[in-house]
Formats: sequence, C-alpha cells, structure tokens
Amino acid sequence: MQEVIKVEHMSKSYGNLLAVDNINLSVKRGTVYGLLGANGAGKSTTIECILGTRKGDTGFISVLGYNPRKDRRRLFENVGVQFQESHYQLEIKVSELCEEIACLYKSPADWRELCTKFGIGNKINNAVKSLSGGERQRLFIVLALIPNPELVFLDELTTGLDVKARRVVWKILMDLKKTGITIFLTSHFMDEVEALCDEICILKKGKTVFYGTVEEAKKLTDCEKFEDAYLMLAGEEANANEVFFNTI
Amino acid sequence: MRSFLILFKNELKLNIRNMNMVIFAIIMPVIVQLIIGMLNGTNPAFEGAGYTFMELSFGALCTISICAGGLMGLPILVAEYRERKILKRFQVTPVSPIKLLTVELTIYILYCFLSMISLFITSKLFWKLSVQGSWLGFLASWILTMISTFSVGMMVGGLAKNSKTASIYASFLYFPMLVFSGTTFPYELMPVGVQKIVRLFPITQGIQLMKAAFLGLPLDNIFLSVVVMGMITLICTGIAVRYFKWE
Repeated sequence: MQEVIKVEHMSKSYGNLLAVDNINLSVKRGTVYGLLGANGAGKSTTIECILGTRKGDTGFISVLGYNPRKDRRRLFENVGVQFQESHYQLEIKVSELCEEIACLYKSPADWRELCTKFGIGNKINNAVKSLSGGERQRLFIVLALIPNPELVFLDELTTGLDVKARRVVWKILMDLKKTGITIFLTSHFMDEVEALCDEICILKKGKTVFYGTVEEAKKLTDCEKFEDAYLMLAGEEANANEVFFNTI
Repeated sequence: MRSFLILFKNELKLNIRNMNMVIFAIIMPVIVQLIIGMLNGTNPAFEGAGYTFMELSFGALCTISICAGGLMGLPILVAEYRERKILKRFQVTPVSPIKLLTVELTIYILYCFLSMISLFITSKLFWKLSVQGSWLGFLASWILTMISTFSVGMMVGGLAKNSKTASIYASFLYFPMLVFSGTTFPYELMPVGVQKIVRLFPITQGIQLMKAAFLGLPLDNIFLSVVVMGMITLICTGIAVRYFKWE
C-alpha cells in the first residue's frame, strides 16, 4: 500500500515548550487515520506542520510526495482541509463561499451537487453565519471536498455537534472512505474513532504514546472499551479519577 | 483569469454589503464637493485667477477616496482577513497570495475610479468644470497617487498584528493625510514648517501634481513629486511583500 503522508522525527517547540517531540507517522492510501490526545497534546501543531502552515523545527515531512512548504500550490490542488475553527468572511453566503473556493482549483467538484448530497442544498443562498452548527460542519466538509481531493484533513469535525448530527457526519465519512479517499482526522470522541479509524496515533505532551489499530490498543491495555484504553494510554485516567474524587 | 474574476465578483459583493467604502469613498467626496460648490459656485479661485475654486480643488477631492481606500479600507481588510484566519483558509488552497491581494487592490481601485467619475459628472453638471490642462497628465498623476497611497496601505495591512492595530495605524495615517496634505485644507495656506513635513506624504505630492496637470500650470518640482511617490511605492511594496504572512 502506498504512503500518502510520511513524517519522520518531527519536532516543534514554542520558546521553551516542546509542543511536538520526535514524532513519526505513516498514513496509507485509502485509510482513515486518527490523531488523538488531550487538549494541548500537540495535535493541532502536528497537523499544521504536516500542512506546512507552521514550520517544524526538525524532521522530514512528505504529503502525496510533496514537501508541503515548498510545493504548497501543487499539493493543495489535491488536498482538502477543514480547520478546527471555521473561518469565513463575516457576511458571506454559502454560495459565495463555495464559489470562491471552487474557482481556485483546476478541476473542482460541482459544489451545488455536494451541498445537495450533504443536505444543505436548500441553504445555498443563506449567510454562512445563519446556519446551525450541524449545517455549518457539513458545509465545511463540502468545502474540504470541493478540490476532488485524494486526501482530506478534518480537525475535530464533530466537536460541538449533537448526537444525531454526529451520526450523520459519520455516515458521510464512511461513504467517503468507500470512494478511496484518505482521511486524516482528530477527534475527542472515542466511539467515533472506533467506528471510523483504521489506524490511530495517541499523543501525550507532544510524544507518541501509542501507534496502531484500535484493537491493538484494547489488547495492549487489556481494556474492553476503547475509551478506557485511550484514557490509560493518554495518561488521562489518573487525572480524570483525581478530578472525579476531588469533586465529590 | 477566471478565478480572478470570480474572486473579484464575490469580494466586491462583500465589500458593498459592508457599506463603509460606499459611504467614505463614494458618498463623502460628493458631499464635500457639494459644500465647496455651494460656497464658491463658479467663482474664480481667487481674484484674477483663470480657473474656478472647484477646478482648483478637483484633484484634492479625488484623493478622498484614495485615502479612504488605501489608508483605511485596504489595510483593515487585510489585517482582518488575517486575524479571522481567512487568509489561513486560502493558504491551504492553490491560490497565490499575489492574486488574492491583487483582487482586493482592484476593488479599491474601482472605488477610486467611480469616485473620480462621479465627482467629474456632478461638477460638470452644476459648476461647468473644464480641464484647463491635460487630462492625460491628470490621469497619470491620479494613478501614481493612488498606487503610492495603496502601497502604504498594503504595508500597514501586512505589518499590523490584527484589525484593531491596523485601524489605529490607519487612523494615524488617514487623518493627518486627509487634513494636512491639501485634501481639505489648501497646502499653500499652511505654515512653512508644516509644509516641509507634509511634503513627504504621497498624497501631498499627488495633489500638487494633479492640480498642476488639471489647471495646466507649470510645476517646477515635478521630478521631486514623482521621485517621492515612486520611492514610497517601492519601499512600502517591498516591505509588504517581504513581510507578508498568512497568519
């Protein structure tokens, strides 16, 4: 299987704080890859270094065979990105935002079709800010898919969504996976990770503490539920219990 | 080219929806012109002058929109797009930063052009304005003034950390230039000391050039004006490009 993302010995520090410490990653074509960890574990920094929007201090990064900082324009012809917080012009409408993104690519997907497919086809004349949380997240999946990408980055796509909206997004991602697209995601919901991800990497204070499949994580920690395995590996369990007992 | 036009169309729509530039670059210059016109009518600029006060002020009126676009609109927009991480969104697409900035620049150029046309039409209709000098010379000076002022705006937008600091820097440039460069108050009536300082403003030089070209007056330091504006354009554009940041 072909490697779509390859990261070797990547480190990044902000002043004295080592945000990412010697990380290695390999994502294979057509898989869903989950990057997990507590807030501040270094997930966003890792994604940003992979995308080239931040410069790593050391290490080798290759995405679709490109160096993301040197070949930015060629790389993003085939990569879709959804950032943790959605960014858009204050008064912009759905149609205008889609049009602005679509026009930047050589052969974009039909954004009207995508909007219809994701259930926001009747909202294209609305202002983006007037959409509900779930609709907005679906719009941002549409935007990430407009390039007809081989690879999409989805950073905490389902944070802030209700249970039903979350399930709708899962369904969309499952369908996407069937088309052969590679998905790199971060998430705080372990049920979601278990349902979607072929491989995961757990970060703790910038270091990789686990690398493999969900099943392997459960076996390694001897846990039945992946959430327990995650908490044990990410070292959040002790803290979580402490907080729990301190509050009662 | 297709992507340029689509971006231009949508960004222009957003800009008009915002209304700031419509008010400060299109409506405000006409209001100032109406006031000047009501006060002076078609009287000569001073006793024995071969041109009216309106003709004397035409160049200065045209710089109101240049100031609004170049020193307020453009830098605040660029800083705001950076602060709201809209530029970062564009960073993960194949678009080049130069194309994006050119789109925004073109929008502000359009405002300045529309302002000049509307000022010309109203003054032609109501106060029989006529170009005594050279239209071409006037246009060339207008373009030079606009480019040099916009380059200042690009630099400010590039260097400001967020839209708040951008609007503070912008106010520091906008108001002195609007008041002291001859846009609203004639340069000739200022104390010599002040004249020496404001001579460094691109707008001051631009107004002198436009005035001379419009009225067909001889201008002895045309070379100096062009050099000042050219230098400002080069330095500010250089800094803006060198320090451009998506985020």
